[in-house]
Amino acid sequence: MTSLLANIDPAFKTLAPRAADWLSILPEIAVAGLALLCLLQALLLPPAQRWLQPATARVGLLLVLVMSLTDGTPWNLPHGAENFPASFFTGADGLPAFHGLLRVQLENSEAVRLVFLACALGTSLLAGRFLRDRGVSVADYHHVLLIVTAAFMLLARANHFVVFFLTLETAAVGLYVLVGNLRRSAASLEAGVKYLVAGGLSSALLLMGIVLIYGSLATPTNDSLGFADIAAALQATQGNVNPLTLVGVALVFAGAAFKLGAFPFHTWIPDVYQGAPTPTTALLATASKAAGALALFVLVTGPFAALGAKLGPLLAGLAILTLLAGNLAALAATDVKRTLALSGVAHAGFLLAALAVAVVAPNVHFETIGGLAISAEHAIYFYLYAYILGTFLTSAALVSLPVAEDHDRPLLGLRGLLRRSPVLASALGFGIGSLAGIPPSAGFVAKLIILALLVKAKLWWVLGVALVGVAVSIHYYFSLLREAFIRPTEDGDELAPLPVPASTRFLIGALCAATLALGVAMLL
Amino acid sequence: MEHTTLAHHLLLAGLLFALGLTGVLVRRNLLVVYMCLELMLAATTLAMVAFSRFAHKMDGAVFVFFVITVAAAEVAVGLALIVALYRRRGTIQSDALNLLRD
Repeated sequence: MTSLLANIDPAFKTLAPRAADWLSILPEIAVAGLALLCLLQALLLPPAQRWLQPATARVGLLLVLVMSLTDGTPWNLPHGAENFPASFFTGADGLPAFHGLLRVQLENSEAVRLVFLACALGTSLLAGRFLRDRGVSVADYHHVLLIVTAAFMLLARANHFVVFFLTLETAAVGLYVLVGNLRRSAASLEAGVKYLVAGGLSSALLLMGIVLIYGSLATPTNDSLGFADIAAALQATQGNVNPLTLVGVALVFAGAAFKLGAFPFHTWIPDVYQGAPTPTTALLATASKAAGALALFVLVTGPFAALGAKLGPLLAGLAILTLLAGNLAALAATDVKRTLALSGVAHAGFLLAALAVAVVAPNVHFETIGGLAISAEHAIYFYLYAYILGTFLTSAALVSLPVAEDHDRPLLGLRGLLRRSPVLASALGFGIGSLAGIPPSAGFVAKLIILALLVKAKLWWVLGVALVGVAVSIHYYFSLLREAFIRPTEDGDELAPLPVPASTRFLIGALCAATLALGVAMLL
Repeated sequence: MEHTTLAHHLLLAGLLFALGLTGVLVRRNLLVVYMCLELMLAATTLAMVAFSRFAHKMDGAVFVFFVITVAAAEVAVGLALIVALYRRRGTIQSDALNLLRD
């Protein structure tokens, strides 16, 4: 095919992706292939073999996870670079892979993939029983889940606005489906439509931003959609930037801030998180937020690096407002899912604070006792891991609680959980403890690292608001725990013990162990 | 007026974009809101094509094809959600969407 086209137009030969380019995104391709396999299974499997469905997706995800964590492979170049000739990355013609569409030599390629594969695996484990109980197709859900995962994995390595927009939108359209997945539930549909309108608005703003950047920086020879040429063009302006470009940058920021759930684009979060099926809520809270944070990181350190003097204060201001908005609104919430949704906004504030450090003081490091130097970028990854563990622990407890309506979970529903099911109570305790930042959990270390980086970067206002936020968050997190652990129940039949299936027990045990191990390992 | 310039195109795109944005914020019928969202996307593609044409480049015009594809996928999912909501609730006025609250 390639040679055929090259005969027609010689230019195609230099533009066509090489085998090494495809190999470098093999895990992403494998996830997308797995998604298609799920769809095939939905069509072909007889009802008696339906159990195969989530099992295939989970085993496949585990295999891709092992594959992504293997060093020295063509898809993990930074560690294995010495094993490959230089021409492997650039081709004999010296051109970048995929013609500069993707960052192939990505630092932390393992960390990026681990974030999104873990989110997909966790969501899959929560979703299986949840969907079967409600008579919804498990296969369809997994198909969309895997497409969203593959899109997010590619988004984190985008090097061009076409890839950036396409992957972001692929994920967004998939998430609309996952939010409105329970067709018989008015709440799920309402959340889906609200997410659709908010998401559609944010993608229109994002696209307008891309167009303005493209138009205001275009010259006949450059690629003003590519991150490298945008960075070069902005560098060349030497601070004297066209106002049209600045509007474009602000609009692109708005699009990514919407995904992250940063102020003032957080207003959709409580409604959508409350109405969405709980496994989807967990996915939104983890994968979508991680994608927003990583996309913002790519933008501020890549194409917009020359605007650091303007973006640094903007990020710091956004971090302050997001921390305030999330924590204060969470204090007033009385629904469990809404409380967790709004506390997620506060966590987005912490991620923004780390991003501000990355822009204001890129060379600042946090030294662990073990002598590891942790940069702001590593702090973001570590915070995401801790947050993902905490969110999936609390979600595992919520999913296993029997309720009449998935969107109606008042705090009272948690009452007596410790006596009904010690396993679920400990999941809630570990999850919320880590989210609140109780030592020695992973969440505590993650917060500590970002606070220390804020001190070193001398961002005092952000530090102050973050500390107040932590104190406030203890209040609403512990009002959840008080219901589950301390408050006595009044009527006896509420106290019937809750059976927890073995797979959920296993998931909860593994997540608890990981939360503790990550925290202790970083403290030592 | 002899020639249309880039400014003319951008002005039209800006007006359409503002019209769409106003509609999204003001209108209460979800179907109309959704049409206004599509109007905003159409305005951005108009601006993209104009920029591309006046910079004598093709990449912007090609990007528009991707945008149209994405918009089509979004409409397919969006209309399905709105229809499902109408069947379940019997209304698509955004005021009636009050199930999710504290």
